[in-house]
Amino acid sequence: MSEKIKKPFKLSRLIRKTIFYLFIVTLAVVIILPVFFLVSLSFLSTREAYLYPLPLLPSLKARYSLTYGERGYLLSVYDDFNKEYQTVLDTNDFEKMSVYMHSQIGTPFSIPEIEEVIKDLESGPEDTVYFSARKDLLYNYDTFFKVTREAVPALLRSLQIAGMTILISLSIGGLAGYAFARYIFAGRDALKFSVLFVRMFPGVAIALPMVIILANMGFYDRPIGLSLVYSVGSISLTIWITASIFIGIPESLEEAAQVFGATKVQSFLRVTLPLALPGLAAAAMYAFLGAWNETVSAIILTQFNPTFSVVVYQTLLGSVGQVNLAAAGGLVMALPSVFFTFFIRKYIQQMWGGVTI
Amino acid sequence: MKKFSIVLLIVLVGAALLSACQPQTVVETVVVEKEGKTVVETVEVEKEVNKTLVFSSRLFSPPREQEFFINEIIKPFEEEHGVTVNFQIIDDQTLLDRAEVQQTTNHITTDIVVAHNSRMPEWIDAGWVEDLTDLVASWDDRTFSTAFSQDTDKDGHQYFLPVGADVYLLLANNKALPYLPDGVDLDAITWDQYADWAVAIAEGEGEGKVCITGIPAKSWIYMFGGTGLSYGAGFPDANSEGAMEAWKVWEKIGKANGFVPSVLNIDSCVDPMMREESWLTVFHNARAGQVYSSNETAFTLAPAPSGPNGIGSIAGVSGYAIMKGAPNYDLAVAFLEYLTRPDIQVKLAKGTGGFIPPVEEAINYLGDEAIDEVINKAVLVLNNGVVSGVPAGNYQDWGAVKKCFDDVFADTILPGLDVTQERLDTAQACVDDLLK
Amino acid sequence: MTAASPAKRFRDLGSKAVPYLLILPVVVYYFLFWLRPVLKTLIDSFRTAAGGFTFQNYIMVFTDPNFMPALRNTAIIVVFSVSLEFIAALFLALLINRKFFGSSLFLFVAMIPMALPAVAVGAMWLTGLTAHGWMNSLLYYLNIIAESHKIYWLTGSEWKLLALIIVVDAWQVIPSVMIILLAGLQNIPEETIEAGYVFGGDYLTVLRKITVPLLGPTIQTAVILRLISAIQIWLIIVLLVGFSRMPVLVERIVYYHEEVPGLDISFQMASGYTIIVSLIVSTAALLYLRASGAFGSKKEAAR
Repeated sequence: MSEKIKKPFKLSRLIRKTIFYLFIVTLAVVIILPVFFLVSLSFLSTREAYLYPLPLLPSLKARYSLTYGERGYLLSVYDDFNKEYQTVLDTNDFEKMSVYMHSQIGTPFSIPEIEEVIKDLESGPEDTVYFSARKDLLYNYDTFFKVTREAVPALLRSLQIAGMTILISLSIGGLAGYAFARYIFAGRDALKFSVLFVRMFPGVAIALPMVIILANMGFYDRPIGLSLVYSVGSISLTIWITASIFIGIPESLEEAAQVFGATKVQSFLRVTLPLALPGLAAAAMYAFLGAWNETVSAIILTQFNPTFSVVVYQTLLGSVGQVNLAAAGGLVMALPSVFFTFFIRKYIQQMWGGVTI
Repeated sequence: MKKFSIVLLIVLVGAALLSACQPQTVVETVVVEKEGKTVVETVEVEKEVNKTLVFSSRLFSPPREQEFFINEIIKPFEEEHGVTVNFQIIDDQTLLDRAEVQQTTNHITTDIVVAHNSRMPEWIDAGWVEDLTDLVASWDDRTFSTAFSQDTDKDGHQYFLPVGADVYLLLANNKALPYLPDGVDLDAITWDQYADWAVAIAEGEGEGKVCITGIPAKSWIYMFGGTGLSYGAGFPDANSEGAMEAWKVWEKIGKANGFVPSVLNIDSCVDPMMREESWLTVFHNARAGQVYSSNETAFTLAPAPSGPNGIGSIAGVSGYAIMKGAPNYDLAVAFLEYLTRPDIQVKLAKGTGGFIPPVEEAINYLGDEAIDEVINKAVLVLNNGVVSGVPAGNYQDWGAVKKCFDDVFADTILPGLDVTQERLDTAQACVDDLLK
Repeated sequence: MTAASPAKRFRDLGSKAVPYLLILPVVVYYFLFWLRPVLKTLIDSFRTAAGGFTFQNYIMVFTDPNFMPALRNTAIIVVFSVSLEFIAALFLALLINRKFFGSSLFLFVAMIPMALPAVAVGAMWLTGLTAHGWMNSLLYYLNIIAESHKIYWLTGSEWKLLALIIVVDAWQVIPSVMIILLAGLQNIPEETIEAGYVFGGDYLTVLRKITVPLLGPTIQTAVILRLISAIQIWLIIVLLVGFSRMPVLVERIVYYHEEVPGLDISFQMASGYTIIVSLIVSTAALLYLRASGAFGSKKEAAR
């Protein structure tokens, strides 16, 4: 009897599970879809990036046809969607044709190779020749770094800014976080609220008067200046997060160490800190995200030493007609942040579990 | 995993510290108080390894143009002379700010600047650029166009060498050609015919295909300005008789829903034209050239439409100048000699999408390629048209002036309302309030 | 208890000072790099261009024809995005907290939007929302729309645009709300929830009667942080529709500082708007904290 009941029960469980996973997958697809198109866009050639409907995936090669045209030779590219060759170029200038094939279609094709094709056209019986060329998939990424000469130094600068922001906010914010987690003292609530209050003043509005303040300190247009500004925002986050982490580590462990003769500082360094380290690392990555992605203050507070986000932003502005290039730049920038979120997700409970405002 | 993330973090922080300790270029910060505003400038003090020519330009900012300029123009020069050219894109205002600091602290690091003609008088009046009159006289193979000499010269002395002039051209997707009214010669099209064409497309396709920049403070003021000039209006002029006639052209298009539906989200017509969302526009010749060269066989190019007073167009030019006290004066002269050779000017114009090379001899180097056609038509507009510069310096803020015109478009033209004299008078008052 | 030795009293005093010493660096830091610029802006907001004292700047802001629309748009965006994002984030957090096979991977996917820089997000939506963009392409591939019938996402009424901005912004913001709620959920002992089921509660009852009340302080944290940043929304709007078309409060600050810095009134408008925005944000935050009872429960939360 029990077996008879179990079987349909199992089946309905299976169905429910399937529906559940279908739901999860759909949800994941909806979340990730815009990112997918951005990634795909960054690999499309300029021609593909402006087709409608937009190709879902970049092609790996281009099929061409060449025939005689009004000005010289008429080049056409095969359009996968409309299933036909579409004319793109009518020229006698082989160098121009070669540049066009590389920069617009994304297929490197040298002048001698073009001459080869022309020879085929002229010696062959037909008045059209067909050929194909392999796509240089990384062309946009390549061009992004080539065009923006600033890109590599700006990238290093951004790393440096993020590193210093982490150092400042973790050391200053961590101390305060420890105090809020371990001590009850007069004015504690008021102090905690003022930490929140700091976030209520628009960040853009802070950056502007900071220009003069930083310049007087000699920190304007230097990485240290930006990390000082970014730390204002990330210190408050770090305080909450580190307080939550320290609350999660029983005070009794420290007390036990003190029983064995360790001083308070020693017991903190030897017992609490090692236990808190992974959570602190996650908090640091949080600070990294803030500093790495920030663009608006960076535009205001840098001049000749832009951060990577500023460089990418300027590329986006300047790249009318080359949105695929902007996509490539944006993704290069997103890469480290996405990488770090992969680690952060393990420590969510430690970081946010004990936060109270 | 835990260990890995910690190691990663330590590496990051370590790298930050290391790079902070590395000997970098020394940066001096200077705070200059002027007219109540505080201008902050940093000056890079680099140790010279081999000769570096610092070339700061407002021109060639799009990535494709930068790439071309660096690889095709700068590189051959660098190889020939064994030097490095440090090419930076900097906007006009920053260029001036930077020059001010360099000149007042007497610490010159920039050799060559490229400024827009509307800002040239500021450079010349401040005395921050070298007099190039004798240099120009010593070159007998090139004659600079005099179209912009009121800006490049002062009191008979030439300070700027013109490069990359621009005017407005008509660009049409070939899909729009069947709607062209009978008997219209595209190379001599009038604004009335342009409006009729736009209306015909909107009726035939069921949606408008004309592109203008609807996002505030972009280029609508120039697009309308060209129409105004064709009807005898000034610039910027919103409410004169000529301007009223010009607004009527756009009113006609607006009443027929002739603009692309997404017109208010357009900040440059390049993207909508390339996506074929829009089919018809009159815009900046270099941007028109950019779209045209992305697929020559799909687009048709013509001079901007004309009115009773001729082909009206906003025109501009940039110019090379040598900073006064430039550390590498001789090298800067050699580079300018190279850059302004007619063949190099033509190569540069073609490679960057169709800027006009403002040397008379350039015409000899034009061929019969599609890009040559762009340049030919642009030269035609420049030489025969009613052109005006941009008097941005007369106003508190040019962006705010642009918005006075953008608002007329958004609240009257686009909804298809009648353009009234009151509305235009309000717009003109908006412009006049902004006069310095 | 009676006469404590002076040495002990000194030690007591010393240990009492410890938390203040630990907090001192933050106070000094905020004083240098937050209070100074804020005070400068505050003073500027009461200054004429010539330098004298005035209320004119505030009068100018309040009579600015864009002020009321900016206030209204901001209010609408805040009300809808905070509530929508909270519901969506709570839903996602509850889902992930079921710890199904692959939930960790799903969590990573759900967190990706918050890692993306504004530039990438701008490029993504601009290419998506244009008439010939990837959104319409996708709908076309899925046979939902015909080639000639495109959807014009960014045109039409203001309400449509507001709704779109709220959705686009939510896409990026939900993860950061979600992870706070998820952390709170993970803190609730499983036995507590199980007890709810044992006593006959169904999923919704347990959620309403046990999970959400236990989540109280966490919800407070998540909502207050989101509220503060929602009032300061501007970048995504400017990326999508440019300045001035859909005015919001912080957008006005940036507009006067960055778009039309040359105007005689720009500086005064910007500092006036800045102070008004800060006042609005802090009032809203205080009201919320009071309404949600944060001040009453402070003592117990302080453990």
